[in-house]
Amino acid sequence: MGVKNQKIKVINHIDELFNQIDISSNRNISFHHHLRNGDYVINYVLDKYKKEKVQGINLFPSAIFPNYSSILDLIKNGQINNITTNYINGPVAEFITHNGLPGKLKMQTHGGRARAIIEGKSEIDIAFIAVPYVNHFGDAVGFLGPNKCGSLGYAIPDSIHAKIKVLVTDNLINIEIPNPEISGENIDYILLVDQIGDTQGIVSGTTEITKNPIGVKIAKNTSILLNELGLIKEGFSFQSGAGGVSLRVTKDVKDIMIKKNIKASFFSGGITKYHVEMLEEGLVEKLYDVQCFDLEAIESLKRNKMHLPISASRYANPENKDQVIKDLDIVILGATEIDYNFNVNVTTDSHQTLIGGSGGHSDTASESKVCIIVSPLIKGRIPVIKDRVTTITTLGKNIDCLVTERGIAINPLRKDLIKKLKNTKLKIYPIQELASIAYGFTNIPKDIVKRDKIIGEVEDRTYEIIDYIYQV
Amino acid sequence: MSRSYLFIPGNTPSMIQNLDVFDSDVIIIDFEDSVTSYDKDSARTLIKNFLSKYSYDEVEIFVRINSYDSRYFHDDINALANLDISGYVLPKASVKGIRMLNKLSNKPIIPIVESPMALLLVEDIAKEKNVVALIFGAEDYTKELGIKRTLEATEILYARSIIAITANAYNIDAIDTPYTNKDDDKGLLLDATNALNLGFTSKASIHPNQIDIINQVFAPSLEEITEAKRIVKKSEETNKGAFSLDGKMIDLPIIEKAKKVLEKAKKYNL
Amino acid sequence: MKASAGSLESSDCLITITKSNKLEIVIESVVLKQFGDQIKEVILNTLKDNNIAKMHVVCLDKGALDYTIKSRLETAIKRMGESHE
Repeated sequence: MGVKNQKIKVINHIDELFNQIDISSNRNISFHHHLRNGDYVINYVLDKYKKEKVQGINLFPSAIFPNYSSILDLIKNGQINNITTNYINGPVAEFITHNGLPGKLKMQTHGGRARAIIEGKSEIDIAFIAVPYVNHFGDAVGFLGPNKCGSLGYAIPDSIHAKIKVLVTDNLINIEIPNPEISGENIDYILLVDQIGDTQGIVSGTTEITKNPIGVKIAKNTSILLNELGLIKEGFSFQSGAGGVSLRVTKDVKDIMIKKNIKASFFSGGITKYHVEMLEEGLVEKLYDVQCFDLEAIESLKRNKMHLPISASRYANPENKDQVIKDLDIVILGATEIDYNFNVNVTTDSHQTLIGGSGGHSDTASESKVCIIVSPLIKGRIPVIKDRVTTITTLGKNIDCLVTERGIAINPLRKDLIKKLKNTKLKIYPIQELASIAYGFTNIPKDIVKRDKIIGEVEDRTYEIIDYIYQV
Repeated sequence: MSRSYLFIPGNTPSMIQNLDVFDSDVIIIDFEDSVTSYDKDSARTLIKNFLSKYSYDEVEIFVRINSYDSRYFHDDINALANLDISGYVLPKASVKGIRMLNKLSNKPIIPIVESPMALLLVEDIAKEKNVVALIFGAEDYTKELGIKRTLEATEILYARSIIAITANAYNIDAIDTPYTNKDDDKGLLLDATNALNLGFTSKASIHPNQIDIINQVFAPSLEEITEAKRIVKKSEETNKGAFSLDGKMIDLPIIEKAKKVLEKAKKYNL
Repeated sequence: MKASAGSLESSDCLITITKSNKLEIVIESVVLKQFGDQIKEVILNTLKDNNIAKMHVVCLDKGALDYTIKSRLETAIKRMGESHE
């Protein structure tokens, strides 16, 4: 092991792999989610675990999507003990919400997961890493091949630090790969499968700019706020999620940049076609890509030299000295709930059901100079502001502004921002007052949060447990 | 004085309860085309309860009622009788319709000029009591003429001109027809600018996302505001009906216009 | 005897009333846990304002605010009265 340009052992069927590895003494297994809802590898591998009736599995997927149904089967069979992940959505999330696990659910951040794996806090025995383009030396990239998925950022720590690293591919090639994302020197096996997934499945429904007038208004308020804070200036850096409102903010920021002839230094995080457009129009110097949200972003990795795939550790590990987001000026994030202390929840919904998780939420909020939450003030009669969020995903001390269609709240800790906005025409309120504007329409919802039985915890990138997840 | 007039459907709560977030100077709650005949009663009740509960300082609210010759006209007016609205938008403008409305209410009226006959009689319409503005309705107007609308809008140039001139002559607002392609910002900007250059003071819209551009086009520019400030200042200093500024003659209509610009600038925080 | 008003669009509700010899209120709502009691109260008050003591009311709610719930019920009541004549 650990030798460059050495041919890696190719395995033609998972049965063969199970003969080579002592599965039952290597029960901490990991996956990445770059193929998102189009991933076939997780179900393929876990079906084997199901058939072999492997008990006491501890699962470390970087995220769990609705299609990952084999996880649900294993939970129901009592084969999974603990799950550690960064994002969880769909049937698995619903089942865990109501039933919990024999062990516990640990929700980490993208940066926190990388850190825990590198520092050995998360001990991964076997990493099953889907790769769409790999050679016999085990060098791999994510943006080539018939079932390409773009950046492999979340899988990099696993590919180095797991005890046994298995690349799973449907596309083993015979040529050299310059600048591979995954370096073959660490790889133990290459497992061949028919198909690792469906590229189309990586596109989530939220990667279009919103046309909803409320969303448009929120984005407009946000770009005016950024402008008045003097943040849109030569060389600034920016990150926005793939939500419709965040993307609209990106568009509005772009308009301001064009008008003022400003060029940004970098955009980071999940990359979409809109970010690529701005790179190609010369509005931003670099894209640091930890995850591609659409096919245009994947294609761009092929042709744009300054569109750089980066590992989760480089992206957001607080202990990584080259951490990209420590230079981040602005991040735009969403919220299912925010409270009077500016704590934000993107882990559970208003019925306390698991619907997501931090991803890079807490990471970018913690590191960026200004973190802005964008959300409608009212969602289907539920005000977004509560006195205490159902689940803390990101601590309020890291959140600076909340922008809604009816007004903006600034975290009182940010006296500097408040001072800068002294003469603004924007509507700025204390967060409690913004909440009472919402209550004027909705009235106060009954508090229905149950806090009886703990089923999981939220671990921040600092390793601090910042909240618990309860059974509903 | 208002830059933008946004139509929102009268029976859609999600739009109604957000009417103040769209940044439109005027909201026109619609009881006519966007409400089916089955739901006319539903819309009236909804708006009555809504406006009884919520009131707005920052946005003016008009209601587009159904035309005077429809069977909904009286019920519409009755439902709105005691509510705090700024006035009525009256479709299918006619002198007869305005007079009928004036018998039932004393509130401001904005008729929609949307037929060849109304266009011929537009001056009579503008002269009627309580008429505070004219809206041009190009969709129905071109339909009645049996002609197609084009991007260049040459087919409505005459109608637009007459309406803008008439409104100007009678010192009321001239509101341009909505731009119907809601996803074409560039087209909207061009269309609104053309209307401005013909003498329109404002533009109607049927989509909230168009309001920003409309407000920009119909707001006085910084240069206009600076110029207006100088004119008003000098007129106050000289205390004369006419004087010269930078070699140009400034007389009363120009001074009045400058005052209007400043009023508008103040109203919209420019 | 049956009448309804409203819709199943977001922020609206669909209310259907049926003549009955007792008072029955059925509420289905996306925010039932948070606002069920409040929705019921609006319905009860609206019935009372219209001097109705007995009625079968079904409210399918999509996050409607109080004024909308009240309006839809009032319209349904009016429609029932009109179909009666």
